[in-house]
Amino acid sequence: MNLCKKYILTFMVLITMILSGCRGNVPIYHVKSDVDFSFFKNVAVLPLDNLTNDKAAGEIVKQVVVSELLASGLIDVVIPGEVMSAISELGIQNISSLNKSQIKALGKALGVEAVIMGSVQQYGEVRSGNQSASEVTITLMMAEVESGNIIWSITLTRGGLDFMARHFGAQSETMSEIVQGVVREAIQTLVEY
Amino acid sequence: MTDKTTKERSFFLIRALSAAFFLMICVSGCALGKGIKHYVRPGLDVKHINKIAVLPFENFTSDTFAADKIKSLVVIDLLSRGVDVIEPGEVMGLLREMKLRSLKSITSKNIKQIAEILKVQAVMTGSVGVFKESRGVTVSYPEVSISLMLHEAETTDIIWSAWHTTGGADFMTRHFGAEGKTLDETAKILISDVIDTIY
Repeated sequence: MNLCKKYILTFMVLITMILSGCRGNVPIYHVKSDVDFSFFKNVAVLPLDNLTNDKAAGEIVKQVVVSELLASGLIDVVIPGEVMSAISELGIQNISSLNKSQIKALGKALGVEAVIMGSVQQYGEVRSGNQSASEVTITLMMAEVESGNIIWSITLTRGGLDFMARHFGAQSETMSEIVQGVVREAIQTLVEY
Repeated sequence: MTDKTTKERSFFLIRALSAAFFLMICVSGCALGKGIKHYVRPGLDVKHINKIAVLPFENFTSDTFAADKIKSLVVIDLLSRGVDVIEPGEVMGLLREMKLRSLKSITSKNIKQIAEILKVQAVMTGSVGVFKESRGVTVSYPEVSISLMLHEAETTDIIWSAWHTTGGADFMTRHFGAEGKTLDETAKILISDVIDTIY
């Protein structure tokens, strides 16, 4: 009986440890249901708004978004330099607050059916006690050029201290792997749709 | 008899726990192999492209020379595969003549012009996201991530694109503190793996 109690106690401690190390990392996304995504053949990825202290975070994530979009085989992506040139020609100062007419004008100038914009909200180390791990949070949105409406959006966080890192100090993924994972997961929601 | 059974159970439990712990350590140290997800324009045989101009890469790292180091490794790797690469000095001279100040704003028109003047079949652009010795919990390891793109001269379309990164410390470094590869060796392997997807 005593042995049985010990087993139950050990089991409960283990379950508590596991649950305290687990965290839901479910992506929050929206896809406009009445849109036929097969219509979109060309997109332009706009510079991402960098809300982090890392100066290059926006550019690094953008490169991965472009690469992953192309690798998905879903859509053709306009050359990044072409996008920068169009933004400059149209005199757009603030890329983080584009209005419908600016989206339409950009789409027309670049000859695309949709533009992808977004932001990098977290790109760096997070600390918990004496442990630290890399964490990345991104928001991506796709706006249809014809109407200027947002047809797909997603917010996703990846990385941070997982169960093994919290309890055993095990090494988590590198920052680059986390970026690749978070972007791939975000684009996967578009591919699946 | 009961004492013997209890002892046997305890012994079994200790062994099972030890095995589980060892397995956990091993699993936590193993990075899953990830293939390079890349893009090749459908219906196009990129292998037939054998004359390329490699433009200077964008540098998103804190190492001032990271982009130049990676670019020269890419050039050497391409040359070793029999691809004719335009001399980097020639490319730099042309960019200066064209007064192209920022690599971020290279347009299709610029790419076409560069290809025409240098008489190449494709133009390669790229960027370096990470090039440093990262620190883990107890060990440090080299981390490199790069993005490469190939633009066809005539259409300036992206005909090949790949983004790749090296993982963290390997099993031996993580658990036994064994010395791993250097930053340069890691970069060479990474570039070779990326270019393997076309040539």
